[in-house]
Amino acid sequence: MTLKAGRRTGLVFFPAFDWAISPTHPEREERLLYTMDQVQEEGLLDVKGIVEYKVRPATYSDIQKAHICVPDEAAVTTESHLISAGGCLVAADAVMKGEVESAFALVRPPGHHAMKVVHGNRGFCNINIEAVMIEYIREKYGIRKVAIVDTDCHHGDGTQDIYWHDPNTLFISIHQDGRTLYPGSGFPHEDGGPNAKGTTVNIPLPPETGEKGFLYVMERLVMPLLDQFKPELIINSAGQDNHFNDPITNMNFSARGYAQLNALLKPDIAVLEGGYAVEDALPYVNVGIIMAMAGMDTSFVKEPNYDTDYRPQSPLVTRKIEQISEKIEEKFLKKRKKNSEFTEGDIVERTRDIFYDTDNISERQHEKIRSCSRCAGVLSTVSTSSLGQHILAVQIPKGACKPCRDQGIEWFREGGNGAYTHLYLQDRDREIFERI
Amino acid sequence: MILGLDVGGTQTDTVLIDGGQVVVANKTPTSQDLLETLREAIEKVLDIVDPASVDRMAFSTTLATNAIVQDDLEDTGMIVSAGPGIDPQSHEVGPSYHVVDGCLDHQGFEALPLRKESVMHAASRIREKGISLVGVVSKFSVRNPAHEFQATNWIEDLFAHIAQGHKVSGTLNFPRRITTTYLNAALHNVHANFTDALTQILKEKSLFSPKYLLKPDGGTIVLDESATSPASMAQSGPAAGVMGALALDSCAGTTLVLDVGGTTTDMSVVLDGAPLLSPSGIRIGPFQTLIRSLLTHSMGIGGDSEVRVDKENTFRIGPFRKGTPAALGGPAPTPTDAMIALGLLKIGNRNTAVNQMKDLGKIMGLDTVSTARKILKLTAKSIADSSEAFVHEINAQPVYTIHEVLQDQKIEPTSAIIMGGPAPHLVDYLEAALGIPCRVPDHFEVANAVGAAVARVTCALTLQADTSRGFVVIPEANIQNRIGSGFKLEDAILLGKETLEKRAVTVGALRGKFDITVTEKQIFNMIRGYSMAGRNIRLKMSLTPGLIQEWRTRDDA
Repeated sequence: MTLKAGRRTGLVFFPAFDWAISPTHPEREERLLYTMDQVQEEGLLDVKGIVEYKVRPATYSDIQKAHICVPDEAAVTTESHLISAGGCLVAADAVMKGEVESAFALVRPPGHHAMKVVHGNRGFCNINIEAVMIEYIREKYGIRKVAIVDTDCHHGDGTQDIYWHDPNTLFISIHQDGRTLYPGSGFPHEDGGPNAKGTTVNIPLPPETGEKGFLYVMERLVMPLLDQFKPELIINSAGQDNHFNDPITNMNFSARGYAQLNALLKPDIAVLEGGYAVEDALPYVNVGIIMAMAGMDTSFVKEPNYDTDYRPQSPLVTRKIEQISEKIEEKFLKKRKKNSEFTEGDIVERTRDIFYDTDNISERQHEKIRSCSRCAGVLSTVSTSSLGQHILAVQIPKGACKPCRDQGIEWFREGGNGAYTHLYLQDRDREIFERI
Repeated sequence: MILGLDVGGTQTDTVLIDGGQVVVANKTPTSQDLLETLREAIEKVLDIVDPASVDRMAFSTTLATNAIVQDDLEDTGMIVSAGPGIDPQSHEVGPSYHVVDGCLDHQGFEALPLRKESVMHAASRIREKGISLVGVVSKFSVRNPAHEFQATNWIEDLFAHIAQGHKVSGTLNFPRRITTTYLNAALHNVHANFTDALTQILKEKSLFSPKYLLKPDGGTIVLDESATSPASMAQSGPAAGVMGALALDSCAGTTLVLDVGGTTTDMSVVLDGAPLLSPSGIRIGPFQTLIRSLLTHSMGIGGDSEVRVDKENTFRIGPFRKGTPAALGGPAPTPTDAMIALGLLKIGNRNTAVNQMKDLGKIMGLDTVSTARKILKLTAKSIADSSEAFVHEINAQPVYTIHEVLQDQKIEPTSAIIMGGPAPHLVDYLEAALGIPCRVPDHFEVANAVGAAVARVTCALTLQADTSRGFVVIPEANIQNRIGSGFKLEDAILLGKETLEKRAVTVGALRGKFDITVTEKQIFNMIRGYSMAGRNIRLKMSLTPGLIQEWRTRDDA
């Protein structure tokens, strides 16, 4: 009589029923209300093999492993951000300890637009909850190679930024073409830093992409890329705004499509990202994802308005998707360049402007990385914000080689000349985080 | 005088309470025939008192539990409408289960009308099987009971009794709603027959005072009103024990209640006199239901558990019961034999108990007394470990607001009450194992009957108001009223209180001041686009389990 899950699945809910960016903001108290209703009414928590976990807040030291918060963590986070990230840590523990085969953190606020340096809120995100989780897993469980598949409709520019220089993290983002949607980035030429070429893969899809298109790129690109990279862990940034009922995007995906995508990807951990059709999409998509993760039959998961409002993908859109897929396949799977275009020890620099839409902050960043074949390379970032901050952050990666470590220490020392409002040193091997 | 009666697995306890004191306590063996057991137990008491002096009677029975566990449920048809989610066919229950067309969404909006032909077809299939009891359930009917009303209207002339899903509970859980509705329908006649027979017996004995039945949530309901949800009287035994503990001890602070029986030990927690309720419904046999219950856990160790020596040469206690203790003619040594061997319990054949201890101790080179003590120590240790796990699980229950996460209120028992037959002989061992003060209350051996006798009426309701849909719904009370956009939290609380008080009086509460607890209070602004479209208000309120006034005044005195 009691239903049984095919795979043991952990669930962590944190609907934050007492937190909103502002009263009428999409990221508000009501967002997961109807999802919780639908999950409870389905009786999913009674299914044998589906286990619900209680959230706990993450700590500032958890955040420091993924971010440089300016001026500090307290200034850019609220309790809700800490609990949302903490929910991911609970999901990670459940999977890593083998209590469940996979887990889904249904938490808010989201995180995939939060970049390495945080001055405030971008695209509803303050801290990158996936990155905080991944760095926690690396530290605690000794995992090295991780793949993130971001299926939110918006380009996961924050996650891309954090892992831009990390050859041990494969970041794949499937999203609505940046020429038609926030944040306007996520093109195939954005393919990772000098030491991590090809471990950032962007798959922009045309507006009106349907079930067929999403599953097509999953099979043609995402699954082969994962086979090629051979990650120890697969994370799904499970944004739900590709849905045909979503008010702020133009895609044409469905609950059943999300369930199929998930069944194909089989992520170890899924983390909720965006998705703001709080009544018409989220309840069905989330139920579909949970059931797919638990290995249950999802053929009855169908929006009440599916038959009337779902629009099958047009042949024109199908053709566009095939064309872009071919280019990406060529670049990342067939003609993959293995060697860096830089000489060992070169210092490679880039300068960027970053805008924080939610908090209306402008930031200019200047990055220097040491080209290195032995480790991910030491990274120095100078960041200047319209809030008057002018900081230097030096990051010595996990497994850093001696030349990179020495270079990092030197950069940090040079920074002590009083030119900066704050200095940061993140040394992952020695578990040091210094802020001056 | 109050008559309290608790039918247990092996013993039926009866008490008479006068002026806040237990004046008579009796035990009768429980026989196969429930009514005969009740008759015998009542007759024993009436040998002592005049029936006219009894002004309240309360019973905790095994009727529903036995019918369910022994599969004596009457054939019942189910008509179910669902919508997106799990395949509704996988919730199949009973011999004639039918999924019909119709769908309500999570807010109670009709996504697909209920199709009359589909319902009538299901009804005729059920009738063909000669079935006269039916349950009607739709997904999200607690948000909008319209489809259940509609189906009932169409088929009510065809069946003897129809149970509706929304009345079961306002809690969202479609599979449990189906199961509970099914049980309510399938137990309808069994329960009615029992009620009639009990009323007849009481009449014969000239007992005319108000009659109550105990529920697993530790509350009572007046017998005449119990017919609408007979399943909600199932498995009241553990609740009787907790209410007994509450009656016999003030349960100040955080109290762990341990009821050590023959086969199992029941555990629960009382917080400053308020027993903890289970977040989900009770499980009876294979059925997961929406029936409210106290949070109790039963572990497989009791006085009659088998004691053996395992491969590593250590004692193992339970989880099996092979029969009565060896000293009483049973096949294997038990903790009770250890008590008999130590001279703590003066029953059965002490020599047998001593010999059993000697045999067990031999392998480890222990003498009789050390063996017996070691067994009791281990028994207490196992119970303590299990209680710790039970409390840990309570503390691991998820919370959904920042406020609750940060508050992180942890339950840590400050003392324990030990009840059940072996209580006085285990209390010191348990105190050592638990590391908190333990005590055994007076009349602990009839605690369940006392609990049944003095438990007050409980009832609960769930209110959901959605000003954008324009309705307030209280499913348990069959209320679905239109509201305007100005409907506020205060209006909801007022309506909830009025409804709950009315309901409380109907199910047997005495008029007067009610102890209403609002257990959940949430209000959400509903935003469509970037503007406010309405308010979504959610309340859960209840009359929580407690003791009747007559008993409480004893404490004040």
